[in-house]
Amino acid sequence: MAEVKTKGEVIVNRAAIVAVMLALVVMLTPILWITATAFKPRNLATTVPPTVMFEPTLSPFAKLFTKRSQLREPVEQEVYDAAPWWEQLVFDGGEQVVRNKKTGEATPSGFGGRYLNSLIVSIVSTVLAVSMGTITAYGFSRFRVPGEQDWLFFILSTRMLPPIVVAIPMFLMYRAVGLYDTHIGLIILYTAFNLSFAVWIMKGFIDEIPREYEEAALVDGYTRLQAFFKIVLPEALTGIAATAVFCFITAWNEYAFALMMTSRNAQTAPPYIPSQVGSGLSDWTVIASGTFLFLLPVAIFTFLLRNHLLRGMSFGAIRK
Amino acid sequence: MADVITRLDPTSRAAARGFSDMTIRNLFIIPTIVFLIVFNVFPLIYSLWTAFTDYRASTAAAANFVGLANFRELLSDPDIWRNFTITAKYVVITVTGQVIVGFGLAMLLNRKIPLKGLITTLLLLPMMLSPAVVGLFWKLLYDPSFGIINYFLGLGKFEWLAQPQMALWAVALVDIWMWSPFVMLLSLAGLSAVPKHLYEAAEIDRAGPFYTFFRITLPLVAPILMIAIIFRTMEAFKTFDHAYILSTQPTTELIAIRLYKMAFLEWQTGMSSAFAYIVLIVVVAITNIYVKYLNKAKAR
Amino acid sequence: MQRRYFRLLASAAAIALSAPAAMAQELTIFWAEWDPANYLQELVNEYEAETGVVVTVETVPWQDFQTKAFTEFNAKGSAYDMIVGDSQWLGAASEGGHYVDLTEFFQANNLGEIMAPATVKYYAEYPANSQKYWAIPAEGDAVGWSYRKDWFEDPAEMEAFKAKYGYDLAVPQDWKHLIDIAEFFHRPDENRYGIAIYTDNSYDGLVMGVENALFSYGAELGDPNTYVVDGIINSDKAVEALEAYRKLYGFTPPGWSKTFFVENNQAITENLAAMSMNYFAFFPALVNPATNPNAANTGFFANPKGPYGDQYAALGGQGISIVSYSNNVEESYKFLEWFIQEDVQKRWAELGGYTAHAATLESAEFRNATPYNEAFFQTMFMVKDFWAVPEYAELLVAANQRWYPYIVGGEGTAKEALDALAADWTETFKKYGRLQ
Repeated sequence: MAEVKTKGEVIVNRAAIVAVMLALVVMLTPILWITATAFKPRNLATTVPPTVMFEPTLSPFAKLFTKRSQLREPVEQEVYDAAPWWEQLVFDGGEQVVRNKKTGEATPSGFGGRYLNSLIVSIVSTVLAVSMGTITAYGFSRFRVPGEQDWLFFILSTRMLPPIVVAIPMFLMYRAVGLYDTHIGLIILYTAFNLSFAVWIMKGFIDEIPREYEEAALVDGYTRLQAFFKIVLPEALTGIAATAVFCFITAWNEYAFALMMTSRNAQTAPPYIPSQVGSGLSDWTVIASGTFLFLLPVAIFTFLLRNHLLRGMSFGAIRK
Repeated sequence: MADVITRLDPTSRAAARGFSDMTIRNLFIIPTIVFLIVFNVFPLIYSLWTAFTDYRASTAAAANFVGLANFRELLSDPDIWRNFTITAKYVVITVTGQVIVGFGLAMLLNRKIPLKGLITTLLLLPMMLSPAVVGLFWKLLYDPSFGIINYFLGLGKFEWLAQPQMALWAVALVDIWMWSPFVMLLSLAGLSAVPKHLYEAAEIDRAGPFYTFFRITLPLVAPILMIAIIFRTMEAFKTFDHAYILSTQPTTELIAIRLYKMAFLEWQTGMSSAFAYIVLIVVVAITNIYVKYLNKAKAR
Repeated sequence: MQRRYFRLLASAAAIALSAPAAMAQELTIFWAEWDPANYLQELVNEYEAETGVVVTVETVPWQDFQTKAFTEFNAKGSAYDMIVGDSQWLGAASEGGHYVDLTEFFQANNLGEIMAPATVKYYAEYPANSQKYWAIPAEGDAVGWSYRKDWFEDPAEMEAFKAKYGYDLAVPQDWKHLIDIAEFFHRPDENRYGIAIYTDNSYDGLVMGVENALFSYGAELGDPNTYVVDGIINSDKAVEALEAYRKLYGFTPPGWSKTFFVENNQAITENLAAMSMNYFAFFPALVNPATNPNAANTGFFANPKGPYGDQYAALGGQGISIVSYSNNVEESYKFLEWFIQEDVQKRWAELGGYTAHAATLESAEFRNATPYNEAFFQTMFMVKDFWAVPEYAELLVAANQRWYPYIVGGEGTAKEALDALAADWTETFKKYGRLQ
């Protein structure tokens, strides 16, 4: 696109901006609704017709982090007044905080611990999947590998079997080798899930990087490894960023195996959030607040990587 | 293993310094392959074995070898064929929708736009949500009484999920909403790699926008777009979470939903393994065709 | 890379192996994530105060409860010492060897007398009438109804109703009344609908709802001794019952195609329906004004009788069992001994648990404790349950597959749906050698 624009181009550009804005509205409305619900008092979450304007409350967040049980009648005023602010917020929603009989301490819901587990598992497995995927993709892209197509297809096929079916043998295997309910277990699991994706995407990107760059570097006296790290990796950053975003999202949101393969130590947050629907009346506000908090790290991670995502793949000057 | 011939200049002296190319190749590739084999071999063999038995994981009873009985029963069950038809329809609807929306958005974004980084991040948000949560919330959004979709669009009491014929489209729409950003991001990466001088050359030749798109843009983006399509197709075949939460109409019973019921409600472990292998064969066949196209696209 | 992977594996294995040694004075009870589990946690905290044994109630979401429990059983896992399992699991869990046989314990403590008879029959005994017991009735539950007192007691409505149907508008005495009232209040133009029923066919929601009709119409699922179902599940009474349920579906709020306890409670809180079916366990949310703006105007009643005078309700609820693979079976017995004491059961009821303890249930104190306890008390003496054979889930899935298209989609007739179901069930029972 040339710097000097014709009239036609200006119009096209404006039309594009309008279209993008429209798309933003459509794509974001459900997310805005979730976010709004996260700050609603419980009785406004499902009204007929829907409530758009309301006074925001932190009640859903107070509930998200505490273990609660349903109250059959509102608490007495003195009890309410004597309670700390977060407990009052829970009372507002018709629930009470479950307290330890002996110590009188409020029981946390476990969401915080699960959130931390999610971070550990997702970050480590993403780093592993992306780095293994990148070097493997480079290997396949640049060297002659006997049966290359078959190996690549094998790698791809590890993602084809419906995961439900391997759940039972996977569970038995994890039990047998002691990976059940460990962070390492989940990390290995998610690395394996994401690896096929990482290899294929990275191969797509690395294939596009002209070989001439490396050849030039080799001629300049670089070793192959140096050429890989200093020439290929920087060129492949867009791909690495995109792959990292996708892998992180997959690991971050994985539900079925997180539920099956963990019990107390390594539980991640995704199975917890929908479980808040359980107590007779769905508490959409708590689910929304959990979803909102859970969306933040991925959104931030992606936002930080945005420039890499958009930078483009190469100087684009030389193509095979 | 012996003949490592690099595809780079064979006279390169790289091998003489540092690691040899063969060592690097092996170091780079073998751990991944070994890891994937070790990780998958037991579950695959286990489920392959149970596919030929009447094993039920809910009881302690020993599994009996039943030969091809599971496969025979499945393939002669009209309900299973219906599951496949529904899933095929679902895959076509969602993947087509995602490519149109995702690629379209990428084309729109592939220009100088203020706040492009922020806009792109925002557009990616739907795919960052957990599928189970997406299902729960869309059920709320679709609700004829509480939902905002009918409310904002003025559709009155339109029943998105209760009408058997509409339900599949409603479920597919959620999938398109959620995963178009995936196609968008990959397409965007591909688009930004198209060398600008090719467009400039086209402009000089006074080529029309259609010519430019089909002869320059599309061929160059095709490989990465194809990879996006392959992954979306594979994932669409496995769709479970949001679909199961949104609707369990017979008209929306996707393969993965039927499989789940068979494996974890009925505990017909053997039968469900057989079913899964049938699905695997179908997916492998389809993916194979895609990969052929991908290689063709790359060769151009 | 490779070697590091194996080293990771080895160290993980070592950690996992060394863990169980520290768990001498700890017990874990597995249940689903819902309020009664919170109440149980409160109750067992008192056990800890008395004995020093730490008891933890571990939960997963309802929809994953069954999956997780049986996967754990399959691996002979010792993560859970006791489990509060669904009544239908008894067959699978006892035949599979997952539950400890509690028959001796049951008899030694005379639990057959102490607990309400229906709860013993459905939560504890398997096979039917075998006098073998696998669980202690823990959380009683059944399907009852909530209704809008203010709509029912509105003088204008009462007059209009009387004019149209010729009898007084009141809590329905039988299923005909139930249908009439649902029809009467069904006014889509006013955003008001007649009735909320279960339609979720992903597990046992729809089946529980239909059972309420079937049993009160005097129909049966089949013969529990011979497993003959043909001519029973598709009897004329059963056809009538299914038609009645289909009729009720016509009076539900829009989009009522996959609804279970959450939606049905919402129907009351959001002014959608005049009456709503639900498990008693979910009624506490309806009596608190903070969660139900209509709390003061919400009443409750037991499933009404059918046209032939039968009156039954579908059973929910769970018994507590000891897991065979637990390392703490002795400790678990001790806990159960504590759990069945009368004062503990009283405390359990106070906390919000639905005790199955007959004396506590019958006490005036319990029956007047909440607006729904009286209906619960009545219901617990007239409950019937689904099949509890190990292949119950196949029977459940078949019922869903036959009933759902008829009720929600209006496909075919009730007779066709039930004939097809009878054929499915017969085939299943033959497959497992129960029926010749």
